[in-house]
Amino acid sequence: MKISTTRFGEISIDESKVIQMKGEMLGFENLKRYALFIQGEKIPFWWFQSVEDGSIAFVVINSLAVKQDYKPVISDAEAKILEIRSPDDVVLLSVVTIRSDPFTVTANLKAPIVVNSKKMLAKQIVLVDSDYPVQYPIGDNSSALQGGKKEEIFPSLLQNFAKL
Amino acid sequence: MLILTRKLGETIRIGNKIRVTILDAKGKHIRVGIDAPTDVAVHREEVYQMIKQQNILAAGYDDSIGKNLSHVWNRMKAPKEEI
Repeated sequence: MKISTTRFGEISIDESKVIQMKGEMLGFENLKRYALFIQGEKIPFWWFQSVEDGSIAFVVINSLAVKQDYKPVISDAEAKILEIRSPDDVVLLSVVTIRSDPFTVTANLKAPIVVNSKKMLAKQIVLVDSDYPVQYPIGDNSSALQGGKKEEIFPSLLQNFAKL
Repeated sequence: MLILTRKLGETIRIGNKIRVTILDAKGKHIRVGIDAPTDVAVHREEVYQMIKQQNILAAGYDDSIGKNLSHVWNRMKAPKEEI
């Protein structure tokens, strides 16, 4: 299928690479289908692009590359909604906010996008009982910035997703 | 806004699948139990607003960032300026 996007123009994407949201990105209730675009393996940021509204795209990062000991609790009910059979199928994405003045880059660890990469299902899950912040600075202690292991920053599961 | 008075232990039903029960009240704190289908998201209002605002902020940065994030990345990796 072809989608028309503000940032990338018209792009072709295989239907099998489209991620279906179970629930919504809060504030974007009408958008249920996204594609995760990987831009090479040098930059740890990816695009979570709406397939339905070409002007909406979030910058996301592998949550574990931001904070290695990140352990969000996903309830059985939510695991069921996402049809998660094995934790190995899960990719955790944090929505990244980039501010230019002053230049800061933060990741939302409070509400990760939990993706079942096998079933291409995702949900932004709000971690109610956690103290993880909404604006966690991506900084010197992040493996993404410290030249951490490639596998930590770019898990092999990413092969399941679309490339730009 | 519909306003109802309930006693401890009493329930309000919203539609045919959602039940809200008043469990406890101590001073200014009220404990509420909510039974809702798993596809109905239940959030504390302030948390909902916080995540929503952050999503909108994240999606809305100006287009000068463009589509290639390498300049953001390079700037992050640049040595910190001495203050």
